[in-house]
Amino acid sequence: MNTWHEVADLIGSLLLLSGALVALSGVIGLLRLPDVLTRSSAATNPQTLGILLLTAGVALRLRSWVDVGTLALVVFFQLLTSPVAAHLVARVAHRTGQTGAGPLLRDDLAGQGRQATGGEGPEPDGSGTG
Amino acid sequence: MTEASDILLNAALGVVLLAGALLLIRVWRGPSMLDRAISIDVMAALIVAGIGVHAAATRTRYYLSIMLVIAFLGFTSSVGIARFIAVRDRPNPKAHP
Repeated sequence: MNTWHEVADLIGSLLLLSGALVALSGVIGLLRLPDVLTRSSAATNPQTLGILLLTAGVALRLRSWVDVGTLALVVFFQLLTSPVAAHLVARVAHRTGQTGAGPLLRDDLAGQGRQATGGEGPEPDGSGTG
Repeated sequence: MTEASDILLNAALGVVLLAGALLLIRVWRGPSMLDRAISIDVMAALIVAGIGVHAAATRTRYYLSIMLVIAFLGFTSSVGIARFIAVRDRPNPKAHP
Protein backbone atom coordinates (compact mmCIF):
# COMPACT_ATOMS: atom_id res chain seq x y z
CA MET A 1 0.00 0.00 0.00
CA ASN A 2 2.82 2.34 0.87
CA THR A 3 4.49 1.60 -2.44
CA TRP A 4 1.35 2.61 -4.27
CA HIS A 5 1.27 5.86 -2.34
CA GLU A 6 4.81 6.61 -3.40
CA VAL A 7 3.99 5.76 -7.00
CA ALA A 8 0.97 8.06 -6.85
CA ASP A 9 3.16 10.81 -5.41
CA LEU A 10 5.69 10.40 -8.19
CA ILE A 11 3.08 10.37 -10.95
CA GLY A 12 1.40 13.39 -9.39
CA SER A 13 4.69 15.26 -9.32
CA LEU A 14 5.32 14.35 -12.94
CA LEU A 15 1.88 15.63 -13.88
CA LEU A 16 2.50 18.85 -11.98
CA LEU A 17 5.81 19.42 -13.75
CA SER A 18 4.30 18.66 -17.16
CA GLY A 19 1.42 21.05 -16.48
CA ALA A 20 3.87 23.76 -15.51
CA LEU A 21 5.85 23.13 -18.69
CA VAL A 22 2.67 23.37 -20.77
CA ALA A 23 1.91 26.68 -19.06
CA LEU A 24 5.44 27.88 -19.80
CA SER A 25 5.06 26.94 -23.47
CA GLY A 26 1.83 28.94 -23.62
CA VAL A 27 3.55 31.95 -22.09
CA ILE A 28 6.41 31.66 -24.58
CA GLY A 29 3.80 31.62 -27.33
CA LEU A 30 2.26 34.75 -25.83
CA LEU A 31 5.63 36.44 -25.99
CA ARG A 32 6.52 35.42 -29.52
CA LEU A 33 3.29 35.49 -31.51
CA PRO A 34 2.54 38.66 -33.43
CA ASP A 35 -1.04 39.79 -32.83
CA VAL A 36 -4.02 39.51 -30.53
CA LEU A 37 -5.76 36.54 -32.12
CA THR A 38 -2.71 34.31 -32.27
CA ARG A 39 -1.77 35.31 -28.73
CA SER A 40 -5.27 34.36 -27.68
CA SER A 41 -4.80 30.92 -29.18
CA ALA A 42 -1.52 30.56 -27.30
CA ALA A 43 -3.21 31.69 -24.09
CA THR A 44 -5.62 28.76 -24.16
CA ASN A 45 -2.68 26.43 -23.61
CA PRO A 46 -2.07 27.11 -19.88
CA GLN A 47 -5.74 27.78 -19.27
CA THR A 48 -6.97 24.36 -20.36
CA LEU A 49 -4.29 21.68 -20.62
CA GLY A 50 -2.00 23.21 -18.03
CA ILE A 51 -4.74 23.49 -15.43
CA LEU A 52 -5.98 19.98 -16.27
CA LEU A 53 -2.56 18.40 -15.77
CA LEU A 54 -1.84 20.44 -12.65
CA THR A 55 -5.11 19.60 -10.96
CA ALA A 56 -4.66 15.93 -11.83
CA GLY A 57 -1.26 16.07 -10.18
CA VAL A 58 -2.62 17.80 -7.08
CA ALA A 59 -5.43 15.23 -6.86
CA LEU A 60 -2.91 12.39 -7.04
CA ARG A 61 -0.85 14.00 -4.28
CA LEU A 62 -3.73 14.75 -1.92
CA ARG A 63 -5.77 11.56 -2.51
CA SER A 64 -9.00 12.66 -0.91
CA TRP A 65 -12.38 12.62 -2.59
CA VAL A 66 -13.39 16.03 -1.27
CA ASP A 67 -10.27 17.56 -2.77
CA VAL A 68 -10.83 15.70 -6.02
CA GLY A 69 -14.31 17.21 -6.17
CA THR A 70 -12.98 20.71 -5.51
CA LEU A 71 -10.32 20.31 -8.19
CA ALA A 72 -12.89 18.99 -10.64
CA LEU A 73 -14.91 22.14 -9.96
CA VAL A 74 -11.78 24.22 -10.60
CA VAL A 75 -11.31 22.56 -13.97
CA PHE A 76 -15.01 22.89 -14.77
CA PHE A 77 -15.16 26.60 -14.07
CA GLN A 78 -11.88 27.26 -15.81
CA LEU A 79 -13.11 25.49 -18.93
CA LEU A 80 -16.43 27.31 -18.65
CA THR A 81 -15.19 30.85 -18.17
CA SER A 82 -12.03 31.16 -20.25
CA PRO A 83 -13.86 30.88 -23.62
CA VAL A 84 -16.16 33.71 -22.55
CA ALA A 85 -13.25 36.06 -22.01
CA ALA A 86 -11.46 34.87 -25.14
CA HIS A 87 -14.61 35.39 -27.18
CA LEU A 88 -15.07 38.95 -25.95
CA VAL A 89 -11.41 39.81 -26.44
CA ALA A 90 -11.37 38.40 -29.98
CA ARG A 91 -14.57 40.22 -30.83
CA VAL A 92 -13.22 43.55 -29.63
CA ALA A 93 -9.97 42.84 -31.47
CA HIS A 94 -11.93 42.34 -34.65
CA ARG A 95 -13.99 45.45 -34.04
CA THR A 96 -11.00 47.68 -33.42
CA GLY A 97 -9.03 46.24 -36.31
CA GLN A 98 -6.26 44.50 -34.38
CA THR A 99 -6.40 41.26 -36.28
CA GLY A 100 -2.86 41.22 -37.49
CA ALA A 101 -1.01 42.45 -40.53
CA GLY A 102 -2.46 40.29 -43.26
CA PRO A 103 -6.07 39.72 -44.25
CA LEU A 104 -8.08 37.06 -42.48
CA LEU A 105 -8.67 33.80 -44.30
CA ARG A 106 -12.27 33.67 -43.17
CA ASP A 107 -14.14 36.59 -41.68
CA ASP A 108 -17.55 35.72 -40.31
CA LEU A 109 -17.96 39.16 -38.78
CA ALA A 110 -17.26 40.99 -42.02
CA GLY A 111 -20.58 42.78 -42.29
CA GLN A 112 -20.86 43.73 -38.65
CA GLY A 113 -19.11 47.04 -38.37
CA ARG A 114 -15.40 46.49 -38.46
CA GLN A 115 -13.45 49.68 -37.90
CA ALA A 116 -9.97 50.11 -39.21
CA THR A 117 -8.58 52.62 -36.76
CA GLY A 118 -10.28 51.84 -33.49
CA GLY A 119 -13.66 52.77 -32.15
CA GLU A 120 -14.76 55.79 -30.23
CA GLY A 121 -16.81 53.69 -27.86
CA PRO A 122 -19.24 50.83 -27.74
CA GLU A 123 -21.27 50.71 -30.90
CA PRO A 124 -25.04 50.56 -30.67
CA ASP A 125 -25.32 47.90 -33.35
CA GLY A 126 -26.68 45.24 -31.04
CA SER A 127 -24.65 42.55 -32.72
CA GLY A 128 -23.27 41.22 -29.48
CA THR A 129 -22.23 42.10 -26.02
CA GLY A 130 -18.60 42.62 -26.91
CA MET B 1 11.31 8.19 -4.45
CA THR B 2 10.28 10.99 -2.13
CA GLU B 3 13.36 12.94 -3.09
CA ALA B 4 12.45 12.59 -6.76
CA SER B 5 9.00 13.95 -6.00
CA ASP B 6 10.50 16.89 -4.15
CA ILE B 7 12.83 17.65 -7.03
CA LEU B 8 9.96 17.50 -9.49
CA LEU B 9 7.79 19.76 -7.34
CA ASN B 10 10.56 22.32 -6.95
CA ALA B 11 11.12 22.23 -10.70
CA ALA B 12 7.39 22.76 -11.27
CA LEU B 13 7.39 25.72 -8.91
CA GLY B 14 10.36 27.21 -10.69
CA VAL B 15 8.75 26.73 -14.09
CA VAL B 16 5.52 28.40 -12.92
CA LEU B 17 7.48 31.34 -11.51
CA LEU B 18 9.47 31.63 -14.73
CA ALA B 19 6.27 31.61 -16.74
CA GLY B 20 4.83 34.39 -14.54
CA ALA B 21 7.98 36.47 -14.95
CA LEU B 22 7.89 36.05 -18.72
CA LEU B 23 4.22 36.94 -18.72
CA LEU B 24 4.96 40.22 -16.96
CA ILE B 25 7.09 41.13 -19.98
CA ARG B 26 4.04 40.73 -22.17
CA VAL B 27 1.94 42.78 -19.76
CA TRP B 28 4.61 45.48 -19.86
CA ARG B 29 5.11 45.53 -23.61
CA GLY B 30 1.82 44.34 -25.01
CA PRO B 31 0.86 47.01 -27.49
CA SER B 32 -2.86 47.07 -26.82
CA MET B 33 -5.04 46.59 -23.80
CA LEU B 34 -6.38 43.39 -25.36
CA ASP B 35 -2.96 41.79 -25.07
CA ARG B 36 -2.91 42.77 -21.43
CA ALA B 37 -6.39 41.32 -20.98
CA ILE B 38 -5.24 38.00 -22.41
CA SER B 39 -2.14 38.14 -20.25
CA ILE B 40 -4.23 38.76 -17.13
CA ASP B 41 -6.32 35.70 -17.98
CA VAL B 42 -3.17 33.61 -18.28
CA MET B 43 -1.91 35.15 -15.05
CA ALA B 44 -5.04 33.96 -13.24
CA ALA B 45 -4.38 30.48 -14.62
CA LEU B 46 -0.77 30.70 -13.42
CA ILE B 47 -1.89 31.80 -9.95
CA VAL B 48 -4.15 28.75 -9.84
CA ALA B 49 -1.18 26.66 -10.95
CA GLY B 50 1.08 28.11 -8.27
CA ILE B 51 -1.47 27.51 -5.52
CA GLY B 52 -1.84 23.97 -6.84
CA VAL B 53 1.90 23.35 -6.69
CA HIS B 54 2.00 24.71 -3.15
CA ALA B 55 -0.93 22.55 -2.11
CA ALA B 56 0.72 19.49 -3.63
CA ALA B 57 4.09 20.21 -2.06
CA THR B 58 2.81 20.77 1.47
CA ARG B 59 -0.25 18.47 1.20
CA THR B 60 -2.54 21.18 2.50
CA ARG B 61 -6.05 21.49 1.22
CA TYR B 62 -7.01 24.85 2.66
CA TYR B 63 -6.09 26.80 -0.46
CA LEU B 64 -8.13 24.75 -2.91
CA SER B 65 -11.16 26.96 -2.36
CA ILE B 66 -9.02 29.95 -3.33
CA MET B 67 -8.13 28.08 -6.52
CA LEU B 68 -11.83 27.58 -7.12
CA VAL B 69 -12.67 31.25 -6.65
CA ILE B 70 -9.84 32.42 -8.92
CA ALA B 71 -10.82 29.93 -11.61
CA PHE B 72 -14.40 31.12 -11.33
CA LEU B 73 -13.82 34.87 -11.27
CA GLY B 74 -10.54 35.28 -13.12
CA PHE B 75 -12.21 36.03 -16.40
CA THR B 76 -14.13 39.08 -15.16
CA SER B 77 -11.10 41.38 -15.30
CA SER B 78 -10.42 40.54 -18.90
CA VAL B 79 -14.10 40.90 -19.77
CA GLY B 80 -14.14 44.33 -18.16
CA ILE B 81 -11.05 45.43 -20.07
CA ALA B 82 -12.41 44.13 -23.36
CA ARG B 83 -15.79 45.70 -22.82
CA PHE B 84 -14.99 49.10 -21.39
CA ILE B 85 -11.37 50.02 -21.99
CA ALA B 86 -10.12 48.39 -25.15
CA VAL B 87 -12.78 49.91 -27.40
CA ARG B 88 -11.36 53.36 -26.62
CA ASP B 89 -7.75 52.27 -26.79
CA ARG B 90 -5.65 53.31 -29.77
CA PRO B 91 -2.54 51.16 -29.79
CA ASN B 92 0.44 51.61 -32.03
CA PRO B 93 1.02 48.14 -33.40
CA LYS B 94 4.42 49.03 -34.83
CA ALA B 95 5.89 50.14 -31.53
CA HIS B 96 6.66 46.69 -30.20
CA PRO B 97 6.35 44.18 -33.03
